[in-house]
Amino acid sequence: MSAIHLRNLVKRFGAFTALKTMDLDIADGEFMAILGPSGCGKSTTMNMIAGLEEPSSGSIHFSDRDMAGVPMGKRNVGFVFQNYAIFTHMTVRQNLAYGPTMQRAQTAEVNKKVAEMADFLQLTELLDRKADKLSVNILQRVAIGRSAILKPAIFLLDEPLSNVDAAFRAVMRTELKQLQRQFKQTMVYVTHDQLEAMTMADRIAVMDHGVLQQVGTPLEVYNNPVNTFVATFIGSPGMNLVKGTPTETKQGLRINLGAIGKSPILPPALASNLKSRNSEVWYGFRPENITVGTKADDLSLPITFTERIGARTIVHLGEGLSMKAVFDNETPVTVGKTLNFTLKPEHVLLFDGTSGVRIGMEAAHG
Amino acid sequence: MKKSIPFEVFRYAMIALALVVALIPIAWMASMAFKPVGEWSATGADLTWWPKHPTLFNFNFIFGQSDTSLIVALEKTAAKPILASLLSSIFGTLIAISAGTAAAYGLSRFGAGKNLPLALIQLRIFPPMAVMIPVMIMWAFLRLNDTWFGLALVYGIVTLPFAFWLMKTFFDDMPREIEEAALVEGCSRWRVFTRITLPMMRAPLASAALFVFIMNWSDYLIALLLTSREWVTIPVYMASLSSSMTGQLYGAKAALGLIAAIPPLVLGIAIQKHLVRGLTFGALKQ
Amino acid sequence: MSGASLQPDSAKQAASLGFKLTLPAQLLVLFIAVFPTLMQIYISLTDWSPLSGANWWMAYGFWNNFANYFDLLQDGRFWGALRRTGLVMLVCVPAEFLLGLALATLFVDEFRGKKIFYSILLMPMMVVPAVAGYMFYMLFQSTGPINHILSTLTGSTVSIAWLSDTTYAMIAVMIADIWQWTPLMFLILLAGLAGVPEDQIKAATLLGASARQRFITIVIPRMKTIMIIALSIRLIENFKIFDTLYIMTGGGPGTATETISVYFYKVTTQDLIWGYVAALALFILVVLSVVAVYAMKRLALAIEVAA
Repeated sequence: MSAIHLRNLVKRFGAFTALKTMDLDIADGEFMAILGPSGCGKSTTMNMIAGLEEPSSGSIHFSDRDMAGVPMGKRNVGFVFQNYAIFTHMTVRQNLAYGPTMQRAQTAEVNKKVAEMADFLQLTELLDRKADKLSVNILQRVAIGRSAILKPAIFLLDEPLSNVDAAFRAVMRTELKQLQRQFKQTMVYVTHDQLEAMTMADRIAVMDHGVLQQVGTPLEVYNNPVNTFVATFIGSPGMNLVKGTPTETKQGLRINLGAIGKSPILPPALASNLKSRNSEVWYGFRPENITVGTKADDLSLPITFTERIGARTIVHLGEGLSMKAVFDNETPVTVGKTLNFTLKPEHVLLFDGTSGVRIGMEAAHG
Repeated sequence: MKKSIPFEVFRYAMIALALVVALIPIAWMASMAFKPVGEWSATGADLTWWPKHPTLFNFNFIFGQSDTSLIVALEKTAAKPILASLLSSIFGTLIAISAGTAAAYGLSRFGAGKNLPLALIQLRIFPPMAVMIPVMIMWAFLRLNDTWFGLALVYGIVTLPFAFWLMKTFFDDMPREIEEAALVEGCSRWRVFTRITLPMMRAPLASAALFVFIMNWSDYLIALLLTSREWVTIPVYMASLSSSMTGQLYGAKAALGLIAAIPPLVLGIAIQKHLVRGLTFGALKQ
Repeated sequence: MSGASLQPDSAKQAASLGFKLTLPAQLLVLFIAVFPTLMQIYISLTDWSPLSGANWWMAYGFWNNFANYFDLLQDGRFWGALRRTGLVMLVCVPAEFLLGLALATLFVDEFRGKKIFYSILLMPMMVVPAVAGYMFYMLFQSTGPINHILSTLTGSTVSIAWLSDTTYAMIAVMIADIWQWTPLMFLILLAGLAGVPEDQIKAATLLGASARQRFITIVIPRMKTIMIIALSIRLIENFKIFDTLYIMTGGGPGTATETISVYFYKVTTQDLIWGYVAALALFILVVLSVVAVYAMKRLALAIEVAA
């Protein structure tokens, strides 16, 4: 087992910079998810950890061992590919035995290891089946077992669930999390699916455009996003953001949100963080924190349409604003009517109107 | 993946060697085609890779210009053989492509002619030499001997397997939704084939036709057996250029060889991405 | 034209159109394969020749009680030609395969100049074979460039009589064939190599497999079908070897490079004993069919799988 330390990691492909300076520490035994939209540099980061690609500059350490120049076959990392890269022309047994055999282990020892691993992963029955006709969760287990048999210090998983049916993903997620608990290995899990990251990871590293945006536990990145990207990317649906300007009223500081109305009074802590009272800010709140209001000074928006997704209803607000509210199914909503709503002060976050950085967290960012 | 410098050096060295080997024969012929008579048989120190006195004489010579340094002017110029090669290859291609495309479509869409795939591969496997006796007899009987259309007909049949298999894989790859939509709109199947499918397949058809043309253009043996005086093709004419009277006409043959070699080289590059498909009867696509 | 396809007789129409579309191809096959084969069987049982003055359908007048078939068993020149063809196949096809494979492995990943080098390396197979034969005829003259290069390399005068020495002529012919057809192997095998999933190679590498181990355990099993296709295609084509060889040596000196096709050509055009040639041809067709049936089943299977 081993920790991972990335320092000033940069990767350029010709003129294109896939990764602009990445610093990340992954603790021993931690399940770290690297989350971001496609092209954010997450796969590049992982490929460099695995040794599939060379960093343009910066360093990678496994605990205190510098990985510069260590070829991928010698890094002792287990890698689970997006499509699992199972050797389909071999049996399950041959797949599991591949690593030890290639490293010229004794046959008896290979057999023993394969038997143990198969037992552990409940693959014993399937050992002599050809690997090209197995279901996807078996393939996942074979892929993990094939790497795990070499007792790698680090496990890297590259979007292993992206080719799996939605219905099956929940099963696979549970299985994967259980496997990680059993192996107690450092795992780095690359995904664009926040649900996977939120449900499985100890911590999440959110990336965008080759830049690491935020690292934290799933709750931290959900509750305390450092910028508008993380705020809108995390959460389903993401955070609502409205441009507004601060206005001083008799009761205290509010944000003028134009047609929507004036925000409730900002709590003093938030108000004192606002350095400039004149520049625009992003006023952010989560769709699930909206409550239906009754008072005259409530915010209001027309209901454009509703989506019922089982226990909850997503209500789309305003034309072209991409604002949403999430209610339970009991809340009465009618398309075309105006929704009056209110927010609790502690649910409101402010972001800089131009940079998108969370107000009050400027120092923590970049 | 990391690239090691020694491997890159090795790679380029090996490729350079392969390029030299691949190009020497072509380069030698190209050079010979521009050498004057005096340099044709130069040996030892006089042997040069580049013509010392480049000339177009060889090209003029094969098209009829006489020269005192050679014993005779040619009794037959290269013009007619070039015409023969063109006519027989083009019409052979038309036959192979029309019959092959129609049959490929019939099989791909309607399951007709299930015997054809294997029959045509079989046709390709057997040496043409082994079926030429009856063909020669038939052609003599039908008075097709030594005619460009007689040759074209044989070419059309010999290259039919390639046309058929290529077009079959193209049709198999083509999405059928558009055809089905047209059928629902009330087009007849024939109309769908001629008005919708074929226009959509213009590019693959062109590739297949070029491929088949190269095959036909490259033939030597069949033309050698089926033509004798009037309609000999370029390779046959080339082999007959030298005689005991003239000795080896190196430069003239090289000029002719260059003319024969250029079309397939150019067209081959144009259809490079379909070469694998064509040569493996569609088993492999690039 | 309204709704024709939706009528109940639509299936019938489709079948009828399918039949019509495949008819020309079927007729051509009949015309060149089935009918001539029957004709060939008929003639092969006689002593008929184009010089015998009778039309071919009158050949029964020359019935010879299968003498042609007994003759071919004792025809030393025929068996010699068959042996030489086998020798050429045995040397050329593996050489082309190995050279092509080696080149293809150099071309798997990206590098500067890949496209242009690839195009140039394919050029030999595009050259009209008869022209290629002429190229090598010139190169292998005893005062020609090959000996010149060898002289320069060795520092002493080399004057091998390539095309008039029985052994060297065979070597020259083989070199020409390898030159022309290695690119075909290269082309097919490279397509095959490109089809080996990159992830599997990476996975094997991460599991500690060396380049050699990866080649044996991943690349070769994955390319088996393609290798079989490439080898069968070349074996089939190589068996027919004629153009290059005939232009270079005419089958000579003597019969030193006389392969099956060259022998056929000579007995057809010089000896004009067509009844006998027909018997030879049928013999070859039958033997080849037996060999080919297995290969073809493999090939057809491979085509199905690949398609």
